[in-house]
Amino acid sequence: MSNPFTVLWNLMQGQRLRYGAALLCLVLATAANYLVPLVGAATIDHAIGNRPVAEASPLVAALLHAVGGAARLGEQLWLAPVLMVLLTAAGGACSYLKGRYTSLASDGIARRLKDDLYDHLNHLPARTLDRSDTGDLVQRCTSDVETTRQFLAVQVMEIGNALILAATALPLLLLLSPPMTLVAFALIPPLVIYGYVYFRKVRHVFKAVDEAEGALTSVIQENLTGIRVVRAFARQDFERTKFAGPNATFRDRNLRLLRLMSWYWSVSDLVALSQLGLVLLVGASWVGQGKLTVGVLFAFLAFLGIMLWPVRQMGRILTDLGKTSVAVGRIQEILGEQREADPVGAPPPPSGPLRGSIVVQNLHFAHARRPAAAASASRAPASAVAPTSADPGAANTEPAVDQPDALNGISFEVTPGETLAVLGPSGGGKSTLMHLLLRLYDYERGSIRLDGRELSSLPRSWVRGQFGTVMQEPFLFSKSLRDNIRLGRGDAPDREIEEAARAACIDDTIRTFEQGYETLIGERGITLSGGQRQRIAIARAILRNPPVLILDDALSAVDGETETLILDALKRRRGHSTTLVIAHRLSTLAHADRVIVLDHGRIIQMGTHEQLAASPGLYRRLWEIQTSVEADFQRELQTQ
Amino acid sequence: MSSAFQQEDEFKAKLDTGLWWKLFQRALHLKRFLVPLAIAAVAIALCDAAFAHVTRWTIDGVLRDGASASLAPYLAGYAVITIVLCVGVWVFIDCAGAISNHLSHDIRAASFDRLQELEFAFYDTRPVGWLITRLTSDCDRLARVIAWGFLDIVWGLTYLTMIAASLLVMNWRLGLIVISVVPPLALLSKYFQKKILLSAREIRKYNSQITASFNESIQGVRTTKTLVREAENLREFRTVSTQMFLAAVTNAKQSAIYYPLVMTIGSLGAGLALWRGGLLTASGEMSVGTLVAFINFAGQFFFPINQLANKLTEMQGAQAAGERVMGLLSTEPAIQDSPAVRQRVAEYERLRAAGGAVDVGLAADGRPATLRTVEFRNVGFRYSTGPQVLQDFSLTVQAGETIALVGPSGGGKSTLVSLVCRFYEPTAGSILVDGVDYRDRPLAWLQSQLGIVLQTPHLFKGTVRENIRYGRLTATDAEVEEAARRVNAHGFIEALEQGYDSQVGEGGNRLSTGQRQLISFARALLADPQIFVMDEATSSIDTETEQLIQKGLETIFAGRISFVIAHRLSTIRRATRILVISQGRIEEAGTHEELLRRRGHYYDLYTSQFRAERESSVLAGGA
Repeated sequence: MSNPFTVLWNLMQGQRLRYGAALLCLVLATAANYLVPLVGAATIDHAIGNRPVAEASPLVAALLHAVGGAARLGEQLWLAPVLMVLLTAAGGACSYLKGRYTSLASDGIARRLKDDLYDHLNHLPARTLDRSDTGDLVQRCTSDVETTRQFLAVQVMEIGNALILAATALPLLLLLSPPMTLVAFALIPPLVIYGYVYFRKVRHVFKAVDEAEGALTSVIQENLTGIRVVRAFARQDFERTKFAGPNATFRDRNLRLLRLMSWYWSVSDLVALSQLGLVLLVGASWVGQGKLTVGVLFAFLAFLGIMLWPVRQMGRILTDLGKTSVAVGRIQEILGEQREADPVGAPPPPSGPLRGSIVVQNLHFAHARRPAAAASASRAPASAVAPTSADPGAANTEPAVDQPDALNGISFEVTPGETLAVLGPSGGGKSTLMHLLLRLYDYERGSIRLDGRELSSLPRSWVRGQFGTVMQEPFLFSKSLRDNIRLGRGDAPDREIEEAARAACIDDTIRTFEQGYETLIGERGITLSGGQRQRIAIARAILRNPPVLILDDALSAVDGETETLILDALKRRRGHSTTLVIAHRLSTLAHADRVIVLDHGRIIQMGTHEQLAASPGLYRRLWEIQTSVEADFQRELQTQ
Repeated sequence: MSSAFQQEDEFKAKLDTGLWWKLFQRALHLKRFLVPLAIAAVAIALCDAAFAHVTRWTIDGVLRDGASASLAPYLAGYAVITIVLCVGVWVFIDCAGAISNHLSHDIRAASFDRLQELEFAFYDTRPVGWLITRLTSDCDRLARVIAWGFLDIVWGLTYLTMIAASLLVMNWRLGLIVISVVPPLALLSKYFQKKILLSAREIRKYNSQITASFNESIQGVRTTKTLVREAENLREFRTVSTQMFLAAVTNAKQSAIYYPLVMTIGSLGAGLALWRGGLLTASGEMSVGTLVAFINFAGQFFFPINQLANKLTEMQGAQAAGERVMGLLSTEPAIQDSPAVRQRVAEYERLRAAGGAVDVGLAADGRPATLRTVEFRNVGFRYSTGPQVLQDFSLTVQAGETIALVGPSGGGKSTLVSLVCRFYEPTAGSILVDGVDYRDRPLAWLQSQLGIVLQTPHLFKGTVRENIRYGRLTATDAEVEEAARRVNAHGFIEALEQGYDSQVGEGGNRLSTGQRQLISFARALLADPQIFVMDEATSSIDTETEQLIQKGLETIFAGRISFVIAHRLSTIRRATRILVISQGRIEEAGTHEELLRRRGHYYDLYTSQFRAERESSVLAGGA
């Protein structure tokens, strides 16, 4: 890990001027804060107390000179409070500006980080994301960014503040009284060291509390998600006992932490107050001996009042610095992941509409080599506590493809407008083939040509733009139903959206919802069934009206009758669309012009219905089921 | 329906003192912490005020006596205050922390307790995530607000009183002038605190949207890519991230204005003290020490006022959470034993305690514990607001019978089963067990006679052994294994890396659906239920496991009343009676052969299912 200060400095890029302005305002605010007690001191000593100005420290003398001398101040005593209020207001204005600049800078950096992370995640290869843990990634993008933001908003300024206070207070106080300065700073270093050592030591207690909270939440969650089982076995008492442990542990660990904190704050209060007491005691005795004026003592006490608080925080801030640099490291691991790249120097993609011919030749794809994904390889301690809350979106996630199936040299052609069905057992390579066509995976050997152009020489976004894809478990965004369909074509008018929905046999269902097309999906809205989701995705693809349509087992959760309706509608609409269908049902295959059977990464059969039904193999066995059902019944009824 | 619960809690304009008093009462038994906390709060306030006085006496003493002044008394005063203050700080952190944590522990335990008894209809309208938030952050937040609020209110009021009193005692005229800054300070504080709280909530709202967007972008990566939505997604994300940025800047601006503003008003007080007090000092009517004390006090007003305003605002912000938690605690379970049943249970309990009754064969209410028939008599049912799900439904089932329920989803099969389990009660008609309305029998007894296997069987985090033992907590290891053997689960369990001590993962996610189902069979068998209820898994299970499951089912069905929502042909065929349920009615009923011969709904269902199963077995078998 590089030096945390360097890391922070780099993060501040683009906002450094604002930080500079904030620090300047802080200096001015601090100066004003200094002057307020000085005004009080000068007034009491020289205007009210008639002490000769010659005895005053140079700073006070200068101050008195500025208002026109001690005598004038004595005569017009209202000047002092006016000056005090004005200085406080001016200091306040500076401190306001400081707050404003700091917030613009730190929130601006946080926003930039989030935007960058979001954009980067959108451009990572699908396989990189498959390999990483969603909860961990989201945590990095949210809580790690928040940790960083807080440091940039609060702690950076606290450090700046403390440094400026130390840098300015020291010469000022030395000007007023060198020996007193020594007394005033006597206990400051121990205070800082105490805080630092303390917070380093209690880190594990904080972690223990976090863990206890995680354990408690998971017990509650387990109980509530399994409440039907609990009732089914009337195990309420058992569950209460099971819950009592973690509930008490969470309380007790919190109590332990608080006990430690009460020691920390009371001891640091004791040190800070001793420091104040020391100044008061020594100062008072020196005042008695005439070595010090009351005004200067007053000023020293006021200075200490300003300074002790930030100093008390220093130890804590230094420990936070460590935490922040870990967070920044975790964020940068994501940003360091390789994005999907497009071929450089390739000719521009064709502009006209695609005819939709696909030629696949000797296509190979090997199993993942499983490179260590940075995003999940080095898990910092902060993420060691696995996210315990249930993933609320679990009902609506794309199936993660852990290990894509291999392809061992397949070749086929699809002519424009043709419907080709791909059949085969799971693990045969069907999904891999679709992923390669869509350039979600990169093929290593062989070639795929779209209208004669090699796919790998074309920009990915252009390639994907030529396809309409519906997957078995389509992902819907938490938007309205209308907006989800509109994802297919952003500029589509409402009328076309509804037409597409009708063609996908989902329009009637949508209209039964209270809010119709405006119904929200997902966490804040309704949950759709698998079949409904598939039909929404079909509508999306219909709206897109692409040159090539890919249906990856896209109607598996739709009943047979509806499936036929949808497929017929597709056939009527598409006309020129080339269609690839992955199917598990014979009823789906019936709509295809040709069928290929894929197993173990090879094409083992290819042909029309008639051809395949005539030769032994998977297709014929499926076909025979249809006719054998009735015969089986008769047999069964006779034997019983 | 869930959306109503996901809203951010609204800010309550009016403080509901009744609610807060009710919540505070729950802390009253923590006297051993409350009393020292109150004492510490008062002591610290007194010390805070005493500081200015000691400084005043020190200055005056030194000025009066010059070099000969003895500093010992002042030193002693300062030392006493310092020590009291430090002890006070220790006590208040410790006690407020203790109250907060004990209170949240207790409220959480009470809420958990209540949730164990509430009927499923309650769960239907509340997502698990929502309930978890009530039990975790709401409980913590309420307890924190009460404990630290109590501290700050006691401290703030005492300190405020002490400052005012000190000023008035030292010089009441000047005191009144300085105190005149308090009302604007208080009003401004309240105003700003509220604004800051509301804009902080705004930030949280956007933040959760951002979290959701990140989640979506990762989970929906393929969809994004195939739709070429990257740029559009980013544009949408930027809208939210900019909104959050603006909210954060607004929030920071409010804080940045608030503090300087109240400080300036505070300095107005101090300035007034310096001016009027300075004149008095110059004329010898007031000592220099008193003048310094006046200036100090005038600058201190802000702190207690800030704390008081802060705590009141926090209470307003947490009030919605308070209402929800108190609401949960005061919700009476809709399904529970009637007074008559409770009385019978109590009587029988007494009788048993006196040694007057023989336990064997009797349930907790002293009636026979055996369960030989279940009868639906003209049962009607609807969920709270929904349409009628079941209508005039009648059915009698004898022990040893297996009823297979088939039909379209939403037809009422699950409702029927939930009614048997008394997770819901009929809204019309009645369900009788051995001729008695089940509402006249103890709920706990009925439910302990049930063996239930859900469609996606839920297992608890823990080992296989622990999960099976959930059926009967007192079962020995040998009995657990025997149950597993009888449902054919033993083989695969032994094959797991650590056998019966293997972890099943959260919800059982380390096991396949089929394996989970087998374990839940063993769990149900161990409970030795008189009624067995199963919602069969629809997802594909390999042929081998399928055979194991069928053999296991045979063992379970024997001699019991069984209801199965059946999807597999082999299960359906095994049933003694098949009911085709559609739109809350029995469309067809009979044995497999009878129904096949009829060539009605069942025939259609059966043939399509038959084809599907054959197809998937052909595909699973490979080419």
